[in-house]
Amino acid sequence: MSTAAVKNFPIVSGSSAADTRPAGDPGAGRKGRTPLSVVRTAPRKRRAPFVVLCFAMLAVALVAVLVLNISVSTAQYQLVELRAKQSSLTKTNQDLTQQVQSFEAPQNLAAKATELGMVASTVKGQIDLSTLSVTGKATPAVKGAAAGAVIPAPAVAGQQIVPPASKAADASKGSDSKGADSKGADPKGAAADKAATPDTGKAAAGAPSADAAKAAAGQAPAAAAAAAPVPELHGGSVPAPQQKVPGQ
Amino acid sequence: MAEKTGKAGQGKAPNATKRLRLGLGVMLTLLLVVGGKLFLVQGLDVGGMAEAALNSRMTSAVLPAERGSILDSRGTVLANSVIRYNIVVDQRVNTKTDSYKRYEPQADGRDKLVDVSRDQAISELAAALGMDTNAVRDAVTGQQPYYIVAKDVKPDVEDRISKLQVPGIVAEGVSKRVYPNGAVAGGVVGFLQDGATGLAGIEQTQDDQLKGKDGKRLFEIGADGLRIPVGLDELTPPQNGKDVKLTLNSDIQYFAQQAIQSQADKLSAEWGVIIVMDAKTGNLIALADTNSPDPNNPGLVAAKDRGTRSVTAAYEPGSVEKMITAAAVIDEGLASPLEKFTIPPTYTVDGQTFSDAFTHGTEDRTLAGIIGYSMNTGTVMAGQRLSKEQRYDWLRKFGIGEAPDIGLPATASGILSPPDQWDGRQQYTVLFGQGVSQSTLQTVRAYQSIANNGVMLQPRLIDSYVSPDGTEEKVPAQPSRRVVSDSTAQQVQDILESAVTEGEIKDAGIDGYRVGAKTGTSESPCDDGKSGYCGYTASIVGMAPMDDPRFIVEVVLQRPKGSIYGITNGPVFRSVMSQTLRTYNVQPSTGEPARMPQYAK
Repeated sequence: MSTAAVKNFPIVSGSSAADTRPAGDPGAGRKGRTPLSVVRTAPRKRRAPFVVLCFAMLAVALVAVLVLNISVSTAQYQLVELRAKQSSLTKTNQDLTQQVQSFEAPQNLAAKATELGMVASTVKGQIDLSTLSVTGKATPAVKGAAAGAVIPAPAVAGQQIVPPASKAADASKGSDSKGADSKGADPKGAAADKAATPDTGKAAAGAPSADAAKAAAGQAPAAAAAAAPVPELHGGSVPAPQQKVPGQ
Repeated sequence: MAEKTGKAGQGKAPNATKRLRLGLGVMLTLLLVVGGKLFLVQGLDVGGMAEAALNSRMTSAVLPAERGSILDSRGTVLANSVIRYNIVVDQRVNTKTDSYKRYEPQADGRDKLVDVSRDQAISELAAALGMDTNAVRDAVTGQQPYYIVAKDVKPDVEDRISKLQVPGIVAEGVSKRVYPNGAVAGGVVGFLQDGATGLAGIEQTQDDQLKGKDGKRLFEIGADGLRIPVGLDELTPPQNGKDVKLTLNSDIQYFAQQAIQSQADKLSAEWGVIIVMDAKTGNLIALADTNSPDPNNPGLVAAKDRGTRSVTAAYEPGSVEKMITAAAVIDEGLASPLEKFTIPPTYTVDGQTFSDAFTHGTEDRTLAGIIGYSMNTGTVMAGQRLSKEQRYDWLRKFGIGEAPDIGLPATASGILSPPDQWDGRQQYTVLFGQGVSQSTLQTVRAYQSIANNGVMLQPRLIDSYVSPDGTEEKVPAQPSRRVVSDSTAQQVQDILESAVTEGEIKDAGIDGYRVGAKTGTSESPCDDGKSGYCGYTASIVGMAPMDDPRFIVEVVLQRPKGSIYGITNGPVFRSVMSQTLRTYNVQPSTGEPARMPQYAK
């Protein structure tokens, strides 16, 4: 207790103590003092658990904030990663769509048909099945006849007009969702094609599904490893980046 | 004892209080200082610290709206926008960096930090771009903070370049307009100026619909380049442009373009045009031009070839106009298709003498025969029954002098001067298509009203606008109008069919389908300021199947070389028309073809 508290504490002095004595009991004054005895202090409320609780709560709160922060920033990194993946997929999709559009352009189709030796028919005949009447004189198309003017192919920058030679390579390129560059994908697909052809007909069918391409790639580690030491430059000066092969 | 204690307490108390107060005072002062500073910094922001911090964190990015596509009637993409990259360098950074480190994936699957020299980086960059090493070296060396090394690089190349991590090299995403069908409908689609503003064709006229509205994103970003998750993030989403869907069919368009190009090349014509129109709806199926521009690179063709001549070129149509004269006299009740006209070798009226393209004696012709053999003499003889005002009104009724509005720029309305300005000869020449000019589309529209049993529909090129959410908003048809009665239209149809079955245009006939057609040959005035005529305009316009006309095809050839009388566009008309009929699965004709006698008994 501080001195100030002592000062203010109401001190019961001897005279006033007498005043408090019951007046109508004079005989009792002579009664002997109660012998001093050790008074047990009243059991104090224990503080320790509360303090521990406070600290525990603080710790929990801090950990919670930390966890929340970590999860938020992890989610942010994940978001960035997914965004990047989305944009790369969008690019791949756009690229493939453009290739399809290029193949579908009428003048490209016509050029391809001519390349395959096809000729346009000029005169058509019709058969009416209900009346069994034949109208028009259908005549066979003449090979080597003057084809007429050629509408130039669309000059879309960087768009190839002829379809790629290897379908397997194309499939593996298309299925590569990480957007690896085609230089890296091409030798892999070609190697996969080579390795798969003698073994199974499955991959050789060149099914343009990602599964088939992956299966082919899986069967080809030996071939890929064998091809690895010789850097294929494909006419360029930069060696193609190495690809991880499943199972290695 | 107690007193003593009290005295001692009173003696010590002031000291303690003083100390207590002093401590409290110091603390409060410090608190005030700290609080005051806090208030200054946080509350008043003296020195603009918070603002500066916010400014350095706050980043705003423009979210470009995607330009809408241009589609044909079946959804084939004629124009769309794709992502391309400009490879840009900060020359200062690149020039002073002699070598740098980058992670390179190794054979064992782990990334390894390797040193790359500037020379190696430049040669790798050159290989990725497919450029010469020295050209790349020149491009990245210097003191400019912004220099474009390569433009419109495809995403896979950009990906390869970003993996090289060359210092100072940045890829900027740009939107690039591509036209997958190239020259097919190139003139109709048009092209853009510097990749943003429409400069020709539909790209020009529908710019507002296609463009959309750019969006904006305002966000706080940390020094590590990641967005601060709890910071402000204000997003104004971009509104992408609408797609414009045309009525064209790109296959027919290609076929027609190929056909007219072949014909024009064969006859060394200046230009040629083919229009294919659906007579039932007014939808334009093909607007073919010779030397059509490829919008991917419109500079390859001459400036005069970059538009759509079907609507921009007005010329004197010639004999195709005789159909209007015939329809007018029949509708006015002044003549009938089988009425007899006795035609002399040349016909003179009001001192003006008219002759025909072929020499003949005095012949007894029907009106059908006059049209079928395309006789100027007979047309003037029949047409002079109309007053000058009537002739003018009928031409106006058939849409001559009235520009069709199909959403293409520089649409010609042609020249039809009022009757009081006609001179002595012009008042008769307008009856057979000289002294009046019109575009090919105007001719086709006039024939459409006959094919559609007398009701003229305005031609349509823009079918609908497709919003980014997929809702399709049809462009309503412009009001139609009745030009001639149903029976007049039927009689004129029969006259046109007889011209193919009995008249001079037999090479326009298609096996299995009934066809009606009319040729036109007109003298073409010189357009370089010389007086007189420079060559001819040869055309043929027709419809099929005649039992219920569905399609109109017109073929025009400007100034073909050689003798005009040996030239026929019939085979071109026939191949385009039969291709159209087959594409749209039109049933072969039923019923007897009209065979009106060409000579009167």
